[in-house]
Order: sequence, then C-alpha cells, then structure tokens
Amino acid sequence: MKRYRLFVIAMLGLLAVLVGFLVANIRGDLVYYKTPTEVVNDPASASAGRFRLGGLVVAGSVAESATDVTFAVTDGTTTLQVDHVGAPQQLFREGIGVVVEGTWDGTLFHSDSMIIKHDEQYRTEEGGVYTPDSRYPTP
Amino acid sequence: MIALVGSAGVLLALVSAVALVVQGIRCYLSDGTPAASLRLPVIGLLVGAIVAMGALEIALLRNDFSLEYVARNHARATPLLFTIAGAWAALEGSIVLWGLILAGYTTWVFRRLRGRDRVGAAALAVMGTVGVFFFGLMASAANPFRTLAEVPADGLGANPLLQNHILMAIHPPVLYLGYVGMTVPFAFAIAALVSGDGTTAWLERTRRWTLIAWSFLSLGIVLGGWWSYEVLGWGGFWAWDPVENASFLPWLTATAFIHSAVVQRRRGMLQAWNVALIIGTFSLTILGTFLTRSGVVASVHSFTQSAVGPALLGFLLVVVVGGFGLFAARGHLVASSPRLDSLASREGVFLLNNLLLTLFAFVVLVGTIYPMVLEAFTGDRVSVGAPWFDRSAIPIALVLLLAMGIGPMTPYRVARPAVLWRRVRLPLQVAAATAAVVVVAGLRPITVVTTVALAAFVVSGILRHAHEVIRSRPGGYLGGLARLPGSDPGYWGGMIAHVGVALVAVAIAFSGSFGVRQEITLVVGESAPFEGYTLTYRSPFLRQEPNRTVIGASIELRRGDRLLGTLEPRLNQYPNQVQAIPTPSVRTGFGEDVYLSLVRIGQGDATVTVDAFRFPLMWLLWLGGLTVFAGGIRSYVGRRKSSNLPAFEAAGV
Repeated sequence: MKRYRLFVIAMLGLLAVLVGFLVANIRGDLVYYKTPTEVVNDPASASAGRFRLGGLVVAGSVAESATDVTFAVTDGTTTLQVDHVGAPQQLFREGIGVVVEGTWDGTLFHSDSMIIKHDEQYRTEEGGVYTPDSRYPTP
Repeated sequence: MIALVGSAGVLLALVSAVALVVQGIRCYLSDGTPAASLRLPVIGLLVGAIVAMGALEIALLRNDFSLEYVARNHARATPLLFTIAGAWAALEGSIVLWGLILAGYTTWVFRRLRGRDRVGAAALAVMGTVGVFFFGLMASAANPFRTLAEVPADGLGANPLLQNHILMAIHPPVLYLGYVGMTVPFAFAIAALVSGDGTTAWLERTRRWTLIAWSFLSLGIVLGGWWSYEVLGWGGFWAWDPVENASFLPWLTATAFIHSAVVQRRRGMLQAWNVALIIGTFSLTILGTFLTRSGVVASVHSFTQSAVGPALLGFLLVVVVGGFGLFAARGHLVASSPRLDSLASREGVFLLNNLLLTLFAFVVLVGTIYPMVLEAFTGDRVSVGAPWFDRSAIPIALVLLLAMGIGPMTPYRVARPAVLWRRVRLPLQVAAATAAVVVVAGLRPITVVTTVALAAFVVSGILRHAHEVIRSRPGGYLGGLARLPGSDPGYWGGMIAHVGVALVAVAIAFSGSFGVRQEITLVVGESAPFEGYTLTYRSPFLRQEPNRTVIGASIELRRGDRLLGTLEPRLNQYPNQVQAIPTPSVRTGFGEDVYLSLVRIGQGDATVTVDAFRFPLMWLLWLGGLTVFAGGIRSYVGRRKSSNLPAFEAAGV
C-alpha cells in the first residue's frame, strides 16, 4: 500500500480539519438537556441560555390562566417551577413526564415549547434520570 | 410448547451458521470440494430461521401469553394485521426478522454458486459469520422465546405508536431487506480480499443483490418518512433524528457504491475504493442497528440495560476493525492499475459523486454520534439541532444534484467540450427558463429556485437523451419509448431513479421553504382563516373502534364556499396503555397538504386547539421515493444487451 500512504495521510488530515470545522460549527445548534437537580447544582450554566428541562408534573401544582400554565416539575429529588406560555396539550396532566424548552432565571423556568413524553409500557412514575426525548419509540 | 419449537429453530439456525462458516472455510482452502457441500448448512439455516419466525407468528396469532414477548407486545384486541406485524415491532422480534432475511439472502446466494467456487464459498462463510452473531443474539440476550412463569390473561398490546398506521407493518421488512441485503456485496468483497482476486468478478456477481438492497433501502427510508408524517403529528417527515440518520447513512455510501461499481465494471478503476465503500456501508448498517436497538440514542447510560447494546457494539468493532484491517493488509491485491485519463469525463464525475456522497455521510455521521461522544466524556446530554444538519447538508445536496445532471451527459475517458456542450445546451436552457418562471411566479428563496432549476436540468437532460436514442432507432416513437428501458436496463433504470431523486429534492425544498405552522383555537361553530382556507369547528367526537377509543374534533375545511372535506385530528387511546396517542389528520391536495394536529379539546368551554400546517407538494415526495425504488428495481430486472458500449456511445450521439 506504499503508493497510497501519502494519499491516506492527506485524507486523514483533511478529515481531521473537517471534523474540527463541523464540531466548531455544531456548538450553536446544540440543545442541552438538564434535570431539575442538575439545574440547581450548576445554576451558572443553567442561566446561560436555552435548554430543555425534563421531569414529572407534580400533582396539585398545575394552575392555568388564559395565556399560560404554571406547574412544578420534579425528578424525584429536586422540584422546579415552570411557567409555560401557550395552551398545554391534551395529554398534559399531573404526574405525566414532560420536556419543556426555554430559559431559567434562577427561580422560574420560562418555557415556550413542551413535549409530552411517551411512555410505551406501564411504568412506575417515580422519577429517576430523564433523557432527551426522541420522537421515535425505541423498541 | 411453541417456545420450545421456536428455540429449536434458533438453535438449528445457529448450529447451521457455525457449520456454514467451518464448511465454507474448508471449501475455500481445499480447492477441490464443490460448493454444493454447503447445501446442508444453508438449508439448516433457512429452515431454522423459518421455524423461529413461524413459531413467533403462531404464538402471536394464538394469543400465547406464556411467551414474554407476546405478553409485552400483543393483546387479544390487537387487529390481525398488527398481530402479524407484532413479530417485528419490538427488539427481539426484529432480530428474528433480521435473521430470516439473512437466511433468505444466504440461500439465494448459494443457489447461484456453480461448481468449485472458492470465492463464493468464502463469501458464504462471511455470511455465516454474520448469521452466527444474530442467531447467537437470539439465543442469548435478545431471546424472543423467553417464557413467563405466570401466564397473564391478556397482554400489554403493541406499542401504540406502531399499531397506529398500516405503514408500520410494511416499513420494517422493507428497510431490513435493504439493510441485510448489503451483507451480500460485503461478503463477496471480503472474499475477494481474502483470495486476492483483483478482477471485477465479485462486483458482477453481486450486482443484483446490491441493486435490490439499495432499492429496498431507498423505499424503506421514504416509507419511514411517510409514517412519521402521517402518524407522529409534529408536522414533518424528517427531523435528522438519530433513528432516521441510521437508515440514511448506509443509503449514502451504498449510493456511492452502486455508482463507483459502474466505473469499475466499465473501466476497471476504483477497485480498492469499492471494497472500502462496501465495508463502510455494511459497518454503517450495523451502526444503525446499534443506534436504534441499544437505547444508546436516548442516553449512553441506558444502553447497558440490556446485553444487546454491548453485543452489537462489539460486533460493530469486529466488523470495522476486521474489515478495514483486512483491507489495509490486502487492499493492494485488489487495487486497480488503470489511471484516470481526464477529470473531465464520466469517471471524473463519478469520482465527484463519490466524494460528495461520502462527505455527506461523514457530516451526518458526525452530527449523529456527537451527542453520544459528548455524553460519554462530559455527561452533558445534548441533541444536535436540525438547523445544523440543514446548513451542512443543503450545499452538498445541491452540488450532488448538479453532478447528477452532468454525469450522464459526460462521455467516458475524455469529454471533448464540443460533445459535452451539444448535450448540455438544451438542459441548460430548460433550467434557465424554469428558474425564470419560478422567480416570476414569486418564489424567492434561493434554495428553492436553485433546486427547481437543477431538477429541471436533470430531468430535461434525461429526456433529451431518451428522445435522441428513440429517434435513432426504427419503429414508432411510443413503442420506442416503451422499449427504451429494456435496451439498457442498468442505464435507464438509473435514469428513472435520477428523476425520482430530482422530484424528492423539489418536494423537500418546497416543504422546507413554504411549510407554514399556526396554532388555532376555535369554539364550536366558530370559523378561522388559515392560509386561504377556512377552518370551522363542528364538534368534538368520541368513538369506539374495535381496538381503541378515539377522541377527536371534526373540523370542516373550506376554500371560499367550497367544502373540501372534514378533518378529524384525534387522540387514539389503546387499552392497556397509559397514554393516548395524538394522530394528525391530513388532506392531501395537488398543490398542497393541509395537516391538522390536535393540541387539546377544552373541557368546559367547548374549544379546540389545533396545530395547523400547510405543506406544498408533499405527494411529489412520496411519488419521487417510489420512482427511485422503481428505477432501482428496473435496472435489476432486465438483462443487459450483449453490447458492452455505454448507452451514449452506442446511440452515436
């Protein structure tokens, strides 16, 4: 493979440059995902920009107004207040898993986008680690 | 009982796969044994796989909830179609389907072997190795025949998202026919490497399987997008989700492969490159299986929950390290000597096509695995936004479209400017005219104008060539048109696929630039304007269907005074499932689709809130996808004429 060695090295170098370019470019389009506990443990990075917050809607915390709905989400250890602008979806109710996207001001999470998590099986809703929501069922 | 039969099938297939590997290697080494000695292992593999699949289907059809798989993924109320499809609706069953399709391909390859075929025997040994892995998985980590000590009276029912639409019954087998089919050219490439066979024999022999696998992979991707559009209700068909990318990645490299394979067959070039491409493609199918089946997409921390993830990752490593290691050690044996005469030639454009497609695949790969790498090292969970993919993919896709138009017009060896110009002139004029019409019609986005112009360039170039060929032959014009694909199926099948890709590109550009979303809240009886239509909320409804309860809203769609239809965005509630599934309602029109997705039905105030979308030219996307499939199949079906001359040269153009 001697005749290819220079070619291969050149290609690898090119690929490295490409990866660097792509990854440097990716930063602005990353959507971070955090749990309430992670937000509380690292408030500085949580206040820095938009991210997704996941957790269960706490029973008895939901209050609706004409334009907003406020509720609390919990991951089992930490509970945060959320103010969501817009009509909540039909499936929205107490105890369900949600992923909201927006900003954190230190006391309140301002959300403008909400995904209801689809649980495929019976599942005891006891909190635990939340994961970024895919639109697809994972069989 | 049925569990025992199924397990016996898996075991038989596993043992046969091991025997196939051993016997295949012996056959390869001994030189004297006819390939027919592989008959018994191949039959065992096929029978075992059929028995396993059959047992699973029978268990599902007979509501045998003593099987854990059936209890989890089936219920008495599940309709027949989704009962049958239940055999591949979850992890374990989908591995069984994988094994069955692999066994089918293996048998087909075996039936094509003649006499003392050492390379063929080695290829079968490679396929046997893949079989050992998948049937081994079925026998251990992903055992679909695990039984329950206490048999429940009814099962949990299929995943509601999967039993919501008929496409979900078709999409997985189609996609798997594509995925698994890539094993055949991969196996022959490895066999060629091992035996140091530098001829184009392995390409010639695997052409049919490559084309079939590629066609089904294309169809599977389009069906997946269609399902996503019709079922998921977020208002789109493609979101650069890792699950989607998993199917798109091998498609990109496989597309590069079927093009560079043409160069190798015609001009004897790019031998080593082809071997590398098919190893890469097969690795990407395993990577895709790993991504979709291991839970790693949700989080790298969830993938060790079952042993399937680590097993697939291990197999992926074996394939990548083994495949490319072998390539590094023995690639020079299959490397070709002819050099490119000129970059301005068909070969040159094929080379450009290959570079673009692999670059495309590489970009998508980086965006897909970046979140997993980041999470593994920092613990941060992120997803890469679609805008990044769009920004990276659109320029590459547009240049690809251009290459797709120029390529078929460029002669082999050296393209003389005069010849090229004669062929390019008319399509260029058509493209310019189309672009002008589009701009005058008021469509401004640069991506749309460019895409439409390039698509016009591609299609008119193909039509121009077809016209010229037909005129140069005796007989009527229509008869000539009908006979045209048969005169050179490989070429004209490819051109049909090109037309399909051009249609898909136009549809994507339109829906991406002119898609509109608006949230609308209505009280019963109230109307609201939406993009030139009027939406009127008639009433909410509650309906009992055999397998589900449906809550929805009847909304009339009017244009002016004309009633176009009643849309019923809804929530489907399946028994045994905690959550209902929102399902959109789509009215497909010639110009555009109107798509309503239910947000909520107000309890006290008789309101409904819907997400209303307008998507132009969506039917073009599905038609384009089907055209790509038809083109791929067409190029496989017909036999080549004896003439070895490329169509252009043969036509004397």
